[in-house]
Amino acid sequence: MTLTVNGKPAAIDGKVELNVTELLSVLKVEQPDYVTVELNGEILERDNFPATVVRDGDAVEFLYFMGGGR
Amino acid sequence: MEKKWDFETLLIHGGLEPGPAGATTVPIVQSSAFAYDSADALEDVFRGRRPGQVYTRIGNPTTESLEKRLTLLEDGIAGIVTASGMAAISTAVLTILRSGDEILSSSSVFGGTFSLFRDTLSSYGIGVRFVDPTDLKAVREGVGERTRLLFVETIGNPKMDVPDIAALAEIAREAKIPLMLDATVTTPWMARGKDLGADLVVHSTSKFINGSGSAIGGAIIDLGRFDWGGEKYPHFAPFVKKFGRFAFTARARKLVHKDLGACAAPMNSFLLAEGIETLALRMERHCSSALRLASFLREHPKVRWVNYPGLPDSPFQDIASRQFGGRYGALLTFGLPDKEAAFRFINALRLARNLANIGDAKTLVIHPASTICCDYTPEEKALMGVTEELVRVSVGIEAPGDIVGDFAQALEQV
Ligand SMILES: Cc1ncc(COP(=O)(O)O)c(C=O)c1O
Repeated sequence: MTLTVNGKPAAIDGKVELNVTELLSVLKVEQPDYVTVELNGEILERDNFPATVVRDGDAVEFLYFMGGGR
Repeated sequence: MEKKWDFETLLIHGGLEPGPAGATTVPIVQSSAFAYDSADALEDVFRGRRPGQVYTRIGNPTTESLEKRLTLLEDGIAGIVTASGMAAISTAVLTILRSGDEILSSSSVFGGTFSLFRDTLSSYGIGVRFVDPTDLKAVREGVGERTRLLFVETIGNPKMDVPDIAALAEIAREAKIPLMLDATVTTPWMARGKDLGADLVVHSTSKFINGSGSAIGGAIIDLGRFDWGGEKYPHFAPFVKKFGRFAFTARARKLVHKDLGACAAPMNSFLLAEGIETLALRMERHCSSALRLASFLREHPKVRWVNYPGLPDSPFQDIASRQFGGRYGALLTFGLPDKEAAFRFINALRLARNLANIGDAKTLVIHPASTICCDYTPEEKALMGVTEELVRVSVGIEAPGDIVGDFAQALEQV
């Protein structure tokens, strides 16, 4: 499947769907304990990560409040 | 995985990653800013799409390592390390309160905190109501329409009163306001704020965390329990929406901490982290020696009274035993006949140092009424438990017999 991750296409070979917890690990998302995940424009509750499924064509944004900011 | 280790092991290994070339201590990253290979990469960090450091006022690898370690020790969800304990308190309080809001604070707080709340913040429209934190009825009645925070020290410095923190947490929960603990004098070794029901913990890491009087620092630990989505905190709404349970730390990092700029120096973060490793050993000795010194002073004919929660006749022995697992800390106060006697005593000490600090490996004394509290009226001093004949002691980790011996010889000269 191919997702849009932070605005850019990201192909994940050999998977047709993943839950958000799996996605964090497959994409090796940094600092997974702190990341906020937005799926198709909606912020996900952390508790719902395991039950939320991402499929081909979905847009995912990862957001941090840590080092960045202005 | 790390969370399963005992506290003493966490102190040494928790949150630590191997350093460059296998270094076992945290590198001091003495750099003001951090370069990225592409404009896109730096944009991603600024927009929060990936974690990273951009500028040391906002974040620094050495400081971040300390933040992770302290957060782990408090079993929190996120932490912010600041330039000092006062910076931690100012940043945390200003993250929560807006003009027109009110703090309900323990009256027996450290002088700097008292002055921040009463003088500095009041000139920006943030009010404060001081209450005796051991009088639960007064605390309950102190919660008003505009109260947005309950603030208390785990053991009042220098009043040495010990509030029932779980009961205060219950009052805060009913009022739908957060309970912020200043746990400087107890450290997570004596009690974790989370286990007592607090929502946020602040520390002056300059004291027992550092442990040798070599650096000033502070920390705010978000315990992740408070619901910032409540109607009393409309200014948190965008942060709750975006960052959920991290709303407090997100608002602090993205606004208040970044804008006030009270950031830690990387070198200080290193020194403060060095202290963490030996915290448990030092605290054990601090506590056992303080109890020994308190018991000695208690029996001494020239000493009028001793305030130490570990003494059997202390009104706080019960609650302190329950709350802090039979450990009572390094601080004690005692009374001599008057100010002159207190001065004679301090001048006669040979080992203990006369200075404005606590939590050093060295035994420290001070006469608070004429020093850290000299700007306050007698009424205000009374509120903070400071009287003219009072000497405050931060018992160090020297040979216990030498500490008691020094006090004995100095008392001879009173
Ligand atoms: C209980 C307590 N809180 C806060 C502070 C302020 O910390 P700092 O001196 O690191 O600003 C101190 C001491 O100075 C303190 O004893």
